[in-house]
Amino acid sequence: MNKEDRITPLFEDLKKVLEGKVEDAQLRNTIKTYIEDYGVDENRAKAAIIKKFDPSTTSGFVTADTVSKKIGDLTGTEMNIDLTVKIVYVESREVSIRGKATPILSGIIGDDTGTCSFTIWDRDDITLIKGGTYSFRNAYTKLFRNQAQVNIGTRGKIEEVDADIDVRSTQMPSSEPTVAKIGDLTEGMGSVTVTGRILSIEARNVIANNEPKTVYSGIISDESGKVQYSAWNDFSLNEGDTIRVKNAYVRSWRGIPQLNMGDRTEVEKVDDNLIELDDTVNRRTVAEVINVGGAIDVEIDGMAIDLREGSGLIGRCPTCNRAVRDGECSLHGRVEPVADLRMKLIIDDGTGAISAIVDRGNTEGITGISLSEAERMSGDAGDPSVVSRRIAEIVLMRKVSVNGNVLSDEYGPTMIVKGISFKPVDVKAGAERLYEEMEATL
Amino acid sequence: MNIREVAWRLFSAELNGAVYEIKGEAEKSPSYAVTPLGAMVNRVLMAGVLTEKENVGTEDDPLWRGRVQDTLSGSFYINIGRFQPEAAEAIAGIDTPAYVAVVGKVRTYTTDDGRTFVSVRPETISVIDEPARDLWLLEAAESSWSRLKTMRKAISAGTADKKDLVSLGIREKDAEGVLIALDQYGTPNSMTYLKPIQNAIRTILPDHSIDLGLPEDIPDDYPDEIEIEPGSTARDNADMEDIVLRLLEELDTDGKGALREELESKAMVEGITSMELEEITNTLMDKGLVYEPNIRHLKRI
Ligand SMILES: [Zn+2]
Repeated sequence: MNKEDRITPLFEDLKKVLEGKVEDAQLRNTIKTYIEDYGVDENRAKAAIIKKFDPSTTSGFVTADTVSKKIGDLTGTEMNIDLTVKIVYVESREVSIRGKATPILSGIIGDDTGTCSFTIWDRDDITLIKGGTYSFRNAYTKLFRNQAQVNIGTRGKIEEVDADIDVRSTQMPSSEPTVAKIGDLTEGMGSVTVTGRILSIEARNVIANNEPKTVYSGIISDESGKVQYSAWNDFSLNEGDTIRVKNAYVRSWRGIPQLNMGDRTEVEKVDDNLIELDDTVNRRTVAEVINVGGAIDVEIDGMAIDLREGSGLIGRCPTCNRAVRDGECSLHGRVEPVADLRMKLIIDDGTGAISAIVDRGNTEGITGISLSEAERMSGDAGDPSVVSRRIAEIVLMRKVSVNGNVLSDEYGPTMIVKGISFKPVDVKAGAERLYEEMEATL
Repeated sequence: MNIREVAWRLFSAELNGAVYEIKGEAEKSPSYAVTPLGAMVNRVLMAGVLTEKENVGTEDDPLWRGRVQDTLSGSFYINIGRFQPEAAEAIAGIDTPAYVAVVGKVRTYTTDDGRTFVSVRPETISVIDEPARDLWLLEAAESSWSRLKTMRKAISAGTADKKDLVSLGIREKDAEGVLIALDQYGTPNSMTYLKPIQNAIRTILPDHSIDLGLPEDIPDDYPDEIEIEPGSTARDNADMEDIVLRLLEELDTDGKGALREELESKAMVEGITSMELEEITNTLMDKGLVYEPNIRHLKRI
């Protein structure tokens, strides 16, 4: 079944309901956006599209009514709200969502009850100006690191409002200057000083607030960790430079803190000897990573304590690469799945627990089971779950070392694993060390 | 954000003393059993020898009980019901005795005459080899020792103020646990917790003479037998969420989802009122685990 066939029946249904309220081409495109780009369930998409083009309808679907809210009252669970806000800070960038480059606008909004961060997804029709006042309509919120975040999706609306509001500053930018280690940087730091070495640098041309601009970005590191930075000015940064950055601020993207150097930021070159980087830079405990929300290029040792559903031999849709269930892709219906191997592990080091997504190559490497062998096992048993059971026997309750980027979303912190290996532990030596320490103390 | 609870490594001597429970008050907030050393425990990772197992339910509706000996001097109890089908299947296939590792939630249970017992409700139970068991012994020993040191620091500081403890370098969460433990149980008898550490080191290093100078006649500190009723009242939101998710799966016979009326009556049978059900389904929708394909159905994602 090709993908047009999935769209057409929906299109016919919706065309009847929405008769004349929307152009055919626009309706078809909207359906595609919901179904293909965002993977929205058909029924949900239907309800959302009817509501979008015919706000008066109740349509038998369960939808919440819009309510006006103040930022200070947000709980992070609102489905459909209106807000009148001032733009405290805004930036535009592109992110990759399921392999598709998607423009987003994000920043900080405020009203007389407080401030919070916001994200506007895939809407190149919207421009926001710092300091301007806008009405955000049909917004929804999510809770992230105990703070509500406002989101505008495809059905949200933004209108300029001719009014000025006093913003009560609750969190960002925080005016208190702090000196921090890179490994301790976390969302909400508004005036931070760090010292680190530029590991990489890249210049990109972007359009920000309707003006072409060059952004410099890359990785900066000290002994405690690495962080992505972006600089909106040319600070004459060079790879290998050791610099002290004053008055920078931290914004998180999916939990991963990023260091931003803006208009108020000062950068000076300092003595290279201030920073000594070695192999231990990337080592962290789970608790350390969770405390800051996420991190790039970290290494964590812990026990593999659970292998989640969706691990082992799975089938992927040949068109969209999503994992299929019982030969059915949620978008493309019955498909001839492409076989793949993966693990969704829970790694727990005693300080905390994170999910770890392990791809085929790494799964094959650590389990010693190749994809073709997995297919043979599954064929022999007539049941693909023999593969995940075998994998569980091999990896669970064993100590592993994983490295990769850790991001956080509403499901918690997750590492996208770049490498995984068993971590041999010298238990006898450990016990001797512990005994010596106890003898000396008691 | 949904941060998964850490799996604490501790010995049964400490676990079985964790009779004081902090109930999660808000929705989604987890419950914790506080140990005498101040660990606030929701989930544990424990290992040892599965010495006994018994299905006191039926084949279709199993209720497994088991006893796991973690060190020479201690055991803990596990209970697996129909809402932990993977663990139930796993324990059915394990022959005693066997080294097992258990990841699970801590449950406290109070008898009619007021005695409280602690047990573990496994999410997973798996057979492990001896080196894996030894590794667990080491991790549990290190973790216990670190809590003993923290407790000692807090006691010698002689303060009941969390801030003072934090200024001594104790993590805020640990400071909170230590203060609750001191308040609920008083100063712990360190012998009770040093003994399993000594036993663990002896097991790992059989050829060394390990002697921490403890009196050898400390009585074993665990109950001989505990009764856990299938419909035990000790049930929190997480339990009820599990039950509702299972019911949604059971009732979804045609792929359209579960009919709300059917869900409601089934939930009633499980002791969940319709008001509780409403709250739980809202929570599950917020978590993205459940959606409404239409007004009459609810479906698991
Ligand atoms: Zn597909």
